[in-house]
Amino acid sequence: MTSARYDQLINDLKSEYRPQREWAEGRGAFLIYGHFLVGVAAGGWLLSRYFGSFDGMVLSYLLACLGGLAHLVNLARPERALNMMLRYKTSWVSRGFWGLTFFMIGGLLYFLSRSEFGAPLGEGSRISAAGDILAIIGSLTMMCYMGFVYTASKGIPFWNSTLHPVLYIAYAIRGGIAVLVLTLALRGQELGGESGLLELWIGVTAVVIVLWVLEIQGAVSSGDETAKRSINDLLAGRLAVYFYGGTLLIGLVVPLVLTTGTIAPLSASILAVIGLASIIGDFFMKYSSIKAGVYLPVRLPHLHR
Amino acid sequence: MKWGMVIDLKRCVGCYGCQLSCKAEHGTPRGVFFARVLKQEEGQYPTVSQTFLPVLCNHCEDPPCVDACPTGASFVWEDDGTVDIDHDLCVGCRTCMLACPYSNRYFNDNEQAYYGDQGQTPYEAARTSQHQEGVVMKCNFCRDRRQEGKEPACVANCPTVARHFGDLDDPTSNVSRLIKERAGFVLHPDKGTKPNVYYLPA
Amino acid sequence: MNEIKPPRIVERAPEGDEWIPSTCNLCYGTCSILVHKVDGVAVKIEGNPKSTVGKGRLCGKGVSGLMTHYDPNRVRVPMRRTNPEKGIGIDPGWEEISWDEALDEIAGRLKKIRAEDPRKLSIQRTTTVYTMGLPWAAFAPGFGTTNVSEGGGGLHCGNSAHQVSGLLHASWGVLPDFQYCNYALYFGASKGHAAGHNSNSNMGQAADARERGMKMVVIDPMCNFAAAKANEWVPIRVGTDAALALAMCNVLANELGTLDIPYLKAKTNGPYLIGPDGTYVRDIETNEPLVWDTKDSIAKPHNVADSEDMALEGEFEVNGVTCQPSFILLKEHLKKYTPEYAEEITTVPAENIRRLTAEFAKEARIGSTIVIDGVTLPYRPAAAIAFRGLQGHRNATFNFLAVLLLNQLVGAADVVGSCHGFNSAFDGIPETGRMGYQPKAGPDGLMEVGTWMAYDPPYPRPEPKKPEEMGLQDLFVMGMTSPFFNSKEGEELWEKLDMPYRPEMLINYGANIMMSIANKDLIAESLKKLDFIASFDLFMNETSDFVDIILPDRGYLGCYNTRPNSPYIFSHPAGMGDWSWAIQQPVVEPEGKERIFADVLIDLAERADFLSDMNAAFNAVFDLRGENRLQGDKKYSYEEICDADLKNNFGDERGLEFFKKEGVISWPKTPEEVYWRPFTDARVPIYWEWMPELGKKIQAISGPAGLDVPMEYYSALVDYLPCASHECDHDNFDFYTFYYRDTLHTNSFTMENAWLDEAAQLDPYSYNIAMNTQSGLKRGLEDGDLIQLETAKGRKVKGRVHLTQAIHPEGLGIAALCGHWAKGMPVAEGKGIFYNELLELDWENVNPVNLTLDLCSKVKVSRVEEN
Repeated sequence: MTSARYDQLINDLKSEYRPQREWAEGRGAFLIYGHFLVGVAAGGWLLSRYFGSFDGMVLSYLLACLGGLAHLVNLARPERALNMMLRYKTSWVSRGFWGLTFFMIGGLLYFLSRSEFGAPLGEGSRISAAGDILAIIGSLTMMCYMGFVYTASKGIPFWNSTLHPVLYIAYAIRGGIAVLVLTLALRGQELGGESGLLELWIGVTAVVIVLWVLEIQGAVSSGDETAKRSINDLLAGRLAVYFYGGTLLIGLVVPLVLTTGTIAPLSASILAVIGLASIIGDFFMKYSSIKAGVYLPVRLPHLHR
Repeated sequence: MKWGMVIDLKRCVGCYGCQLSCKAEHGTPRGVFFARVLKQEEGQYPTVSQTFLPVLCNHCEDPPCVDACPTGASFVWEDDGTVDIDHDLCVGCRTCMLACPYSNRYFNDNEQAYYGDQGQTPYEAARTSQHQEGVVMKCNFCRDRRQEGKEPACVANCPTVARHFGDLDDPTSNVSRLIKERAGFVLHPDKGTKPNVYYLPA
Repeated sequence: MNEIKPPRIVERAPEGDEWIPSTCNLCYGTCSILVHKVDGVAVKIEGNPKSTVGKGRLCGKGVSGLMTHYDPNRVRVPMRRTNPEKGIGIDPGWEEISWDEALDEIAGRLKKIRAEDPRKLSIQRTTTVYTMGLPWAAFAPGFGTTNVSEGGGGLHCGNSAHQVSGLLHASWGVLPDFQYCNYALYFGASKGHAAGHNSNSNMGQAADARERGMKMVVIDPMCNFAAAKANEWVPIRVGTDAALALAMCNVLANELGTLDIPYLKAKTNGPYLIGPDGTYVRDIETNEPLVWDTKDSIAKPHNVADSEDMALEGEFEVNGVTCQPSFILLKEHLKKYTPEYAEEITTVPAENIRRLTAEFAKEARIGSTIVIDGVTLPYRPAAAIAFRGLQGHRNATFNFLAVLLLNQLVGAADVVGSCHGFNSAFDGIPETGRMGYQPKAGPDGLMEVGTWMAYDPPYPRPEPKKPEEMGLQDLFVMGMTSPFFNSKEGEELWEKLDMPYRPEMLINYGANIMMSIANKDLIAESLKKLDFIASFDLFMNETSDFVDIILPDRGYLGCYNTRPNSPYIFSHPAGMGDWSWAIQQPVVEPEGKERIFADVLIDLAERADFLSDMNAAFNAVFDLRGENRLQGDKKYSYEEICDADLKNNFGDERGLEFFKKEGVISWPKTPEEVYWRPFTDARVPIYWEWMPELGKKIQAISGPAGLDVPMEYYSALVDYLPCASHECDHDNFDFYTFYYRDTLHTNSFTMENAWLDEAAQLDPYSYNIAMNTQSGLKRGLEDGDLIQLETAKGRKVKGRVHLTQAIHPEGLGIAALCGHWAKGMPVAEGKGIFYNELLELDWENVNPVNLTLDLCSKVKVSRVEEN
């Protein structure tokens, strides 16, 4: 007679602050995975490309493939996915779809011109250059679109912050660095002191921390009860364990401590741990902040605080 | 022209006639509501008031749901300003639900039969099964009824005559007049959506 | 203008697509409907705009009817139990049987009982489809039993509301005259707020009144439906309304002196002279009550003196005794109800009582007139009303009378803008003059109703006698429904009162009495005692556990009824406007083997050999004349009888075929029909002179059987008397429970309607216990906690608490009749709270006058720990 999902919906509709489950539970969980993977992939591609790590690019491409797949699983009607190309003029989701498409095609063309794959299209060809540029445009779009999707979600005040896109971009860069660090570590390659990767990671992490503080402070001081409820869920409620354990401890504290080299010298395995922890932290950042989304209640205007 | 609705909170008694006549009109699946009644309490005993607040899609002039929709499934009819969904285009990504500041969009992913395992009733087979699954649904100001020259079901049925429907572009229409004379207001004006559903104070 | 026009009604659309007119029966409001059918499937129910009953608009229940009709859990075939053991939750082991088997078995038992003593058969039917009850009104007398009840004995229906409204307004209930009233005092009652008689029509009219500026003050323990729309909510301690109303009467009569003297003289028994024994001083020749003629300074019979010369005050010597007009006795009596006294009882501050009374008095505009459709009429745009809620207490009769007395004092009764008995007068069908009725003066000049819903009108009542009715209503003659069918004392009383027979068989029509009266254990015991129960039902409900044969009913979309809105005092819009006459007709085919219950009754009468008696009863009930009379023991279908009824009233050309197509006909009301009070010479009792004597007569019979009648309830003058709950002073029993009718539900059966259930689940109140926030916090409760309520007698219910500011700190508000446990209603099962479990069904908890059950209880609240 009744399903758990339906009962959940009825309960949600009754509650004053209704948590969004559209992008959090059931097939909606795949959107979290998708956004995590695509963000890391985009950052990873750009960083690997910049630092010339072919392995990093391959890993990023694979992550993007998985991310794309997760996005498809999130759709109830994946067979219609191509419809998502139609509204790039207004919809960030549509733009993201284009970004991912650019990236997949560009990356493929790029790979097909690389000697490691036998360069069927020929090395250094025009196609290769076009693929390279397309993949870079795609990565940049992927990095940016997610944050804007949340900002455009007027039903979820917590996400409406203009800092959200910046936070997502910063996280993508950080995730990219982590992918690169991880790749290098797994390949047993030493991180040359001149690369400045760790310093960059520390720098971006610092930015991320500042952005988090600003975002939380902004939501708390906005006077918006719904956003405050989200912050409450994040810091002291149903998501606190993921936020503190995942986003803060694993994602920030552990790698930050490790980068100082005080616990152990920066060996390849320590670097791998830093990269992995950083990536796991990225996942929990998305997991907790997406799940912390609470719908704006519908009230008479004068009852709104 | 621009269709709009005015809901008179003074007349509404929260009988749920709108919510349920809407169900009856559209055969919406369980968990999907194009119209609902909310109850809001204000004040401290004994100085307390209760407001019955019927809600539905606001058919915003600047609809964030339409902007957010990646496929164009959510769109605005140019000839009458109503916001609608082309279910053939919808991929079920639910972005529009999060974009709507009024929570008036519902995802059709529960059982298509109110009596669950017992299957669809003949009524549901005739009506509910017309709806696509895995898509987002919402009120379209009863487009089918309007094409037959009828008012939306919730308007025609309201036992207290609390709902009015008309052309907001026409300053002489009943809705324009009521908004002007009775200080009509909209929900979440700060969201900049320019709703076309107005409320008259209780 | 680009406005959309009102809906077009397609009368008969192309083949396979039609709109069929009929009548809603999701409640007894009986709004006119149109059912849209496409290819044999009903796909939509809308209101019928041609009718004034609902005016083309329906409430949430009405539009949801198809979910009930097509519910896969409906009973679709006759069934018989195979397990002889009856008890709560014990599987009866149902087996499908044919209609022939079912009818033969029932008819066999009917035959046997009828030969022995037909009164051994008791019949009960649900109020939900009360207006479909005409076939029962022929079946029961045709068979020979008077033991007919609605919803089971002790049903919480408006025993006192109907009785006192009948006595004072010649109607089944009262309303403010929404079209002209400027000040409405609601003592509870959600008239105009989606429940009860005229539900939809009232909603529209009340909304018009609010928009027009009618001020509404609602006195209620809870601020939900009516109170939510009020200008002022006056929270009151549960069950104490009479104390407040009497204090207001006192302020009117003794502080403000705002009284409609000409009205009191002409339209009440206020001038009747009362002797030292409390009874009327009567004219020696005519035996009519005397009044004092101030012009001639002599006593004259009330029907001889001019009313304007009648004294309302003073002391006179007549027939050798000192006597006073009853009015002055009332006025003096009221003095004890000071606002300060009432504040203590009700928690309503004395200053508010004075202010509200002054507002009411001012708005009554005593002495003013208004012209309606060219007729000059008294104008009293103030009304005090009440309904089922405030009279659901031990002080039922006085509670209701106290409120209506407010109107009497200012002359605001059935005149423009005032408190109205709805549709008390009707001139009849225009072309034939049939069916008309008018209130008129009866014995002692007091008003008799023009029409009534029950066998015996509220006045005059028969003399009490040694009872032969199971409910003892022939002893407690002011009563209508009675708890003694099922009460604890029932058997003992029958024994002591020498009841010549015992109930052996029950035919039930849709009532779920396991839920509708009081705690389930008591009812289960009384049902178990019966040899045989046959029951027409839509669902296997809680009562089905005790039934022997279940008969599937076609429900309201499959039945005929020629009089869904008649008599008009039941569910037809009040005020100026139209009269409408609609019918109910089958609009859908049965999904299984369901049959029209009326035809089943006719079949039973035939098989049990009393068809000619039933035909005769039909002739009497429908007042069939000439060619339309049913003949001898000829078997008619109910469809044919309906045709006869319509032709009998509307003429040969307007029989069933005409109404099937037309659905409804309407014609305008006249001001004389609507505002009938100035046009009748009938008086209404503000002093119930007959009561003390009646009480003594009843006591003489009941006393020896151990049933002592507390005489204070039989006083001629209205009083506030407390409930048993007010006398409960156990430690920690600090909440008064009360129930209310939810707008989403009708009695108990709509909880199975999946749409209504879904809406109720989303409603903050429907399935929860409403408790004042501060009261809850004080006890460490949080919103949504599971709590248990326990009465002093140890009866318990559990439910989730909803903390709200909108309820009196001592009250616990619960929507009625939820908390089903029957497996046959899986949607309803386990939803909400079964309030009636808290109720006792005994002499201590009924109004000793008309046997209304007290529906409040005092409880202890505790939190239930959840894992």
